[in-house]
Amino acid sequence: MASTNATVDVTSTKAPAAPGTEDIILEVNDLKKYFPIKGGMFNRVVGQVKAVDGVSFKLRRGHTMGLVGESGCGKSTTGRTILRLAGEKTGGDVLFNGREVYSLSAKELHDVRTKMQIIFQDPYSSLSPRLPISEIVGEAVREHNLVPKDELDDYIDRVMEECGLQPFHKMRYPHEFSGGQRQRICIARALALNPEFIVCDEPVSALDVSIQAQIINLLHDLQEERGLTYLFISHDLSVVEHISDAVGVMYLGGMVEYGYTADIFKNPLHPYTKALFSAIPIPDPKAKQNRIVLEGSIPSPANPPKGCKFHTRCPFAKDCCKEIAPEQRELEPGHFVSCHLYDK
Amino acid sequence: MSDSKNGMPAEKNDQSRDDAQEYSLNDDRRVKVLSPGALIAKRFFRNRLAVVGLVILVVMFVFSFIGGLVSPYGQDQTFSTMTKLNTQYAGITETTSLRYSAAPDADFGALVQSSANTAISSGATSFERSGVTYTIEQPAPDLYVFRQGGEVVAYASTEVVSVPSGASALSFDFQIAAITAVSNATAAGDAAPAPEVTEEGVVVVEGGEENAAEEAAEAQAAGNTFEADGQTYSFDESGNVMDASGATVAMVSPFVISASDGNTVIPDDLREALLTAVSADVSDVAYTDASGAEHTYTISYDAYSKVYNVTETTENLVYDRYASPSAEHWLGTDGNGMDMLTRLMYGGRVSLIIGFIVVFIAAGLGVIMGGISGYFGGWVDNLIMRIVDIFYCLPSMPIIIILGSAMDAMRLDPWIRMIYLMLILGFLSWPSIARLVRGQILSLREQEFMLATEATGISIPHRIVRHLIPNVMPQLIVSCTMSLGSTIITEATLSFLGLGVKFPFASWGNIISDVNNAFVMTNYWFIWIPAGICLLLAVLGFNFVGDGLRDAFDPKMNR
Repeated sequence: MASTNATVDVTSTKAPAAPGTEDIILEVNDLKKYFPIKGGMFNRVVGQVKAVDGVSFKLRRGHTMGLVGESGCGKSTTGRTILRLAGEKTGGDVLFNGREVYSLSAKELHDVRTKMQIIFQDPYSSLSPRLPISEIVGEAVREHNLVPKDELDDYIDRVMEECGLQPFHKMRYPHEFSGGQRQRICIARALALNPEFIVCDEPVSALDVSIQAQIINLLHDLQEERGLTYLFISHDLSVVEHISDAVGVMYLGGMVEYGYTADIFKNPLHPYTKALFSAIPIPDPKAKQNRIVLEGSIPSPANPPKGCKFHTRCPFAKDCCKEIAPEQRELEPGHFVSCHLYDK
Repeated sequence: MSDSKNGMPAEKNDQSRDDAQEYSLNDDRRVKVLSPGALIAKRFFRNRLAVVGLVILVVMFVFSFIGGLVSPYGQDQTFSTMTKLNTQYAGITETTSLRYSAAPDADFGALVQSSANTAISSGATSFERSGVTYTIEQPAPDLYVFRQGGEVVAYASTEVVSVPSGASALSFDFQIAAITAVSNATAAGDAAPAPEVTEEGVVVVEGGEENAAEEAAEAQAAGNTFEADGQTYSFDESGNVMDASGATVAMVSPFVISASDGNTVIPDDLREALLTAVSADVSDVAYTDASGAEHTYTISYDAYSKVYNVTETTENLVYDRYASPSAEHWLGTDGNGMDMLTRLMYGGRVSLIIGFIVVFIAAGLGVIMGGISGYFGGWVDNLIMRIVDIFYCLPSMPIIIILGSAMDAMRLDPWIRMIYLMLILGFLSWPSIARLVRGQILSLREQEFMLATEATGISIPHRIVRHLIPNVMPQLIVSCTMSLGSTIITEATLSFLGLGVKFPFASWGNIISDVNNAFVMTNYWFIWIPAGICLLLAVLGFNFVGDGLRDAFDPKMNR
């Protein structure tokens, strides 16, 4: 997939950009992350899992971008690679506030860590079982000297309250909390560093629906209060539709379609997006559903198909799809698709 | 509540208000905030088995560390007692029947002797035998002299003339003269026992080469002299015959003393003393020999064999080996005569200290190596794990035994040896802990909270110390407490084999190794059963506490 400087030129109601200046907080260009497959006698690299293979997007300050796709398509790896949590990238650029994340020195990275945070999918394994909540939330604050020592306690109280936790929870241990509360703790931990950008790595998929709503609303409120920017990774399309300003659809490490939430949900262009959206259940038993059922299963990212990665399952695949990888093209303003169907 | 129902209304109001407060569901009231340490302690003490284990360990520690201070004895203090040992020294036979002595060239056989006996008992002055006529004279009460035609051919007496050690043989004439003189003197009653009989009934003799000449002079002054073979001899009260120079040449006495041991030469003054004692019917003789050593002899009469047995009582220092439990030694003494209880205390000290230091060394090495291996991975992990594999391949017991015998050969000081033992045991047991720590860290590293620490920019040392180590801790503690028990067992095994802690240091192992034969095992239970029980209890205690700690450290345990 070729790299394109695709910008979502957002002129939506939320957080209008100042005219002339595009307040881009995160710019990802042709990001690649391959994991080596080791084998054979001497642990040679015998292959690569192309978990992220050419992902490009821009994210405006104060906006939320949803990242959807089926399991194993590289959504989470994208999020972690952006935060430099998955080792070195294989290729491409990650510009955070205009600076390449991967060229930061250890000291600079340490400082930037406070600016970009992550909320994990599993609220059970993402909290150290041996630390009390105050320590989980406050440890990094102390590490970065964000707050004077004598105010740390109050600060933690405030952050916890903001995330819907009560001060007396401080001395408790993670196992004493429910999933929803744990996720609030995770949010508090991320929030305590006063970040600008948070990768929400499927933050609600481990929770039941009523709790999901609470957490989504909490994230939403925090965004409004603090002007946070989210990269919201999820495979739950309705959640993404609810929270996102823009949506990117990923398939097998690449981004197949990308644009404003409204545009994409109203008018999905890529065959994969269409198939994906047709799987959204309609809460009406009498409604007839036109489900597009894809043949086969997702190919192995270690050995992706040549040409368009989706051609093995695409109902509209043409000959050229098997040979040539489609370019990302802007079909509507701010709506990018990589598909030969729209070749002129 | 039931009280308030029956009580006065005003009181009821108060009560219900209190109840309301008491049962308030305010979260801050409901939740009792405990520090993590207190929480662990609480959980630990809720576990009954763990508390039992802890009590056992506390008792073992008090026993070993404080017991050693309280005990009045030292760990290598030996106990012994002076024991009186009776050895047969000599036998004294009293001559009650006549003994015949024939002149050197005379023929005075047994048949003649029996005729002589008959004649003497019938009071005849002569008798005939085989055509020969013998005349009998009685120059002294205990002496009969037989003549054949004027020639003295034999004599019969109950007195025996014996030659002292080193003196030359005596002539027949001398014998008769001596017996005559002594016997007459004794019969006259003017002879009193020379050595004093003390009031306690002990004959006391001061030995040594006493003033013999003076004694001879004394005897001469008393008129106790006789002449034989042209020489003048004197004799004293107890029948010692001295020549002019005062040297004892013969002894005349109805008693014959023979030493039980053929090599023993009975000194003359002792002989004299013994005879005196026998004639005075005193059973104890105290004797100081020429070198000043004191001896005590006891005389007992055996009526059957008519022998006075002289036993020498010697005092010997005897170690109290395998003494049974008593008020002084609550658990008796061991084969070296050391107080068992004290040894047990000091042994516990050694065993526990060795256990702790070994585990400390092993845990330190194991955590460092395992931590590095697990956290950094890659070739470092590979290298360390191969080293661990090599250590696993080494058979530790043979190595320890070889090193133990090498230390034996080097004749190391027991103290230095103990230090080497700890180092060796520690160095051989770190790999299992390293492997455990590595495994734990590998699994923890994949947990999202470790990713979160990276995302929040927490430094690597903090990540290891605050996030990894506490999560490895339960397994580490369990493993360490278990290996404490097994280290103590290993140390005991080595000490039992004589390759571990060496004398004079005690350890439970080398206490048990005192039981190296079935006799000790079956007869001296107090040697090995207490040490065995101590070992059992200590290991059991460590295991219980280890289990309890594991449960307590695990916050998910809601017991």
